[in-house]
Amino acid sequence: MIKRAARRTAMLCVALLLAGCAWELVKALFPEGGGTVLGMSIIPKTSDRAMPHTWDMVTRLGEPESTAGGQAIWRSVAGYSWYTLRLALVGLTMGTAFGIGLAVVMARFRFAERGLLPWVIMSQTVPLIALAPQVVSWSGRVDVFGWELPRWLSVCVLAAFLAFFPITVGALKGLNSAPAAAIELMDSYAASWWRTLVKLRFPAAIPFLVPALKLGATLSVVGVIVSELSTGVTGGIGRAVLSYGSAATGDPTKVYAAIFGAALLGLAMFGLIVGLEVVLMRNRPQEVES
Amino acid sequence: MSAVVVNNVAKVFNPGRANQVDALIDIELAVEPGEFVSLIGPSGCGKSTLLRLIANLIDPTTGDVLVNGRSAAQARLDQDYGMAFQQAGLFDWRTVEKNIELPLELKGWAKAKRRARAHEMLELVKLSEFARHMPWQLSGGMQQRVAIARALAAHPPLLLMDEPFGALDEMTREHMQAELLRICRATETTVVFVTHSIPEAVYLSDRVVVMSPRPGRITEIIDVDLGLTRDESTREHDGFFSAVTAVRGALRGVGSTALGGVDDR
Repeated sequence: MIKRAARRTAMLCVALLLAGCAWELVKALFPEGGGTVLGMSIIPKTSDRAMPHTWDMVTRLGEPESTAGGQAIWRSVAGYSWYTLRLALVGLTMGTAFGIGLAVVMARFRFAERGLLPWVIMSQTVPLIALAPQVVSWSGRVDVFGWELPRWLSVCVLAAFLAFFPITVGALKGLNSAPAAAIELMDSYAASWWRTLVKLRFPAAIPFLVPALKLGATLSVVGVIVSELSTGVTGGIGRAVLSYGSAATGDPTKVYAAIFGAALLGLAMFGLIVGLEVVLMRNRPQEVES
Repeated sequence: MSAVVVNNVAKVFNPGRANQVDALIDIELAVEPGEFVSLIGPSGCGKSTLLRLIANLIDPTTGDVLVNGRSAAQARLDQDYGMAFQQAGLFDWRTVEKNIELPLELKGWAKAKRRARAHEMLELVKLSEFARHMPWQLSGGMQQRVAIARALAAHPPLLLMDEPFGALDEMTREHMQAELLRICRATETTVVFVTHSIPEAVYLSDRVVVMSPRPGRITEIIDVDLGLTRDESTREHDGFFSAVTAVRGALRGVGSTALGGVDDR
């Protein structure tokens, strides 16, 4: 297990190194001003402004956020990432709870599956960017017993909206994956539907739920970042990418600090789910490594 | 009082529709306490359906089923029987002992009492040292023994088995048959056993119920007089061969077109 984790980490480092080499190779081989092939400009500009050196990106991490000084930029980026990670976790939790709840209702009542599933699928055809301002506008209007929907929570709702879909589908498939003989066995014990759910269907759903959670986790990060951009919630990495990017003319390496932060954030989220997988799947038949 | 009474039962699937199937008609059967009764017949003769009717997993179209003098539905609610299928059907995520504890959990037993009973059952099926193993670490025969231990964990007076050894190889199968008889004698359990193997039915049973298909009905009930204690030598016994011949003859009577599902193993 640990050996496997170490090997995977090493592989990741090698992959990163190779990506860096490829970047520098392109920069070295192609002309600064880019180029055209058959009249189409498809060769990228490789000037330091368009494609900064990888080592410049790394050294930029240690420099202050703005020319006015302040803490090193990696500290700021870490703070933004941490903020976004927390929102994504809340969103993922909400999406998971909602997705599993929906799957349970659909597994219980066939008519619910027939009635709800088309809506679940249709919900994913609505672009998040179109939805975001609507949801954020609720934060001024929703008022339940004096409790107002905070803006950051509306970002979580949007992340949950994206994350719940694969979890619903995975959980539904998992809940229905219990073999007929096992269901019959529970029937022979006169077990109620609820106890069959807890003792049989939920555990049977776990192997389906884990990959669904991986998808959901990634989507919740994407959801938070996109929602930050389209709602103007500040303090997260999405905003940082946008504001650092606008400084690209004078400070081309700055935006990469935010991109690194976003990538690291995605990795952290994924790592969290892999950790969860190890816990949930510890007693399961060992599958062939995929 | 009989352990099982099947009273003038018929079962029709999809009545009134194009795919209507008369699975069973005119079924009359009484199983006495402590008796081992096998249901044998070609595939499609309704032997599994009859077992499921006794288990109350499906309801009869007409007639009624009594288990220990009460309705089959009440017997199911009281967990008056244990059940084992062709597939062991153990839960992958539970250890062997926790699999055996499942019916006791559903009965609301305390943890210590459950654990004690599970270990008692494991001793009975001679798998004590595998209590903490996961089911998928066990061989097919061992898994089936765990399934039998699970079926008997609550000490039900009745055991219903649907081709439990069908997926096992011949040697394991004969060993499991001997084990099952030993366990059932030790626990004084009544057994209704579905099989399509003639020697298996004869070796295990006090009575063999021969069934025929389309529609499923009982054509003959053959007494097997091999005594209570049976061992490997029983399989060489003259009475064994004559009973096998009798069952085979009864199955021939069923009609040569319907013999596809019976083998002579």
